[in-house]
Amino acid sequence: MNRLPWWMGGILMSGLLLMTFSIFGADRPIGASTYVPYFAGIIFDLDPEKYTYLKHIANSGAWEGVMLLGVLFGGFIVSVFLTKTFRLSLIPTGWKKYKNNSVVSRLLWSFFAGFIMIIGARLAGGCTSGHFMSGMSQMAISAMIFGAVVMIVLVITGKLFYKSEEI
Amino acid sequence: MDIVVKTAGEDLPSRIVQMFENVINQGHGSLVLVFLIGIIFGGIIQYTRVDKFEKIAGFAMLKDTIVPKMLFLTVGLTSIGLYFLIEAGGAHYHIKPILWQGLIIGGTLFGISMAILGKCPGTGPVSIAEGRIDVLIGAIGGLLGGLVFTLYYDDFFQPLMGESSGKLTLPELFPGNEHMVVLIFGVAVTLIAIVIPKIEMFDEADLSKLPDDQRPDRK
Repeated sequence: MNRLPWWMGGILMSGLLLMTFSIFGADRPIGASTYVPYFAGIIFDLDPEKYTYLKHIANSGAWEGVMLLGVLFGGFIVSVFLTKTFRLSLIPTGWKKYKNNSVVSRLLWSFFAGFIMIIGARLAGGCTSGHFMSGMSQMAISAMIFGAVVMIVLVITGKLFYKSEEI
Repeated sequence: MDIVVKTAGEDLPSRIVQMFENVINQGHGSLVLVFLIGIIFGGIIQYTRVDKFEKIAGFAMLKDTIVPKMLFLTVGLTSIGLYFLIEAGGAHYHIKPILWQGLIIGGTLFGISMAILGKCPGTGPVSIAEGRIDVLIGAIGGLLGGLVFTLYYDDFFQPLMGESSGKLTLPELFPGNEHMVVLIFGVAVTLIAIVIPKIEMFDEADLSKLPDDQRPDRK
């Protein structure tokens, strides 16, 4: 099957994190949510001098922005040549099975979830990458609080939102 | 994500060039290295298939455990390696402050949205690169979320995050026993990754492309 096992993924991801953290690499953690308000600033032409938050994230947002371009490129190449899963689709199979068959419903929920996801990540100061992976690897208490809250809420939401009892 | 460029006016290209200039000048790796880190990050996520809705929303339904297994293994291995790398002077700490309100309110919003979207900000772009249009719509929602957060940061969001209770790490709670705490933490988290039972939810759309004897659900 065209995929790596979870343990290989964990080992490779660990190697990437250590390389990124090291002074021979980037001397910083990996994060993946600061680029979103940074891009919002670029796209909606907000003056960085006027907004405290944009000043605050000027460096980390740019760094993650360039990283994101790599993520899109890497994800695309691997999906075309290795996993061979590239295809245009509007609704995941699992959504059809455990939620509904409506494309409109999926797109509206996606938009809503994307909106509160970034507000949540920026309130907490990180996401799965910045808090869970990079933060917990430094044994930061902030990351452990975030990780615990997310895991609990994730499972409760999964239980309430999907018809997971069926099938 | 550069689809919404209409509102940007003529100098959008120059703002993008500034992003590259910033990275070149900020001293956190060369432009090529940062781009390469992204390629490897996206490549690992794509090649392990953990960006899939069935893996993340599947974990929310407790019908798939690949994501927590891989996350905990990554944290367990990295925590030990990173601690000794820092001790040897090869890296620095980048600890985020404890903002109780921000972490709890933000973590709650994040958990809800992660279950519904079936992605997070790191795995989402990988799915977009794979052709998932619903996730692209989610990203446009995220972009507007980022806009709202930036616009109302001073008046609303920063006060909502509350006061910082400082930066703290687990080993700091046990002065004198730091090495032991790191080893116990790293080994325990790695063990958790191994001990979590492996359950999987598969996507029929992917499985149907495989020959019968290679289908993991029939093994």
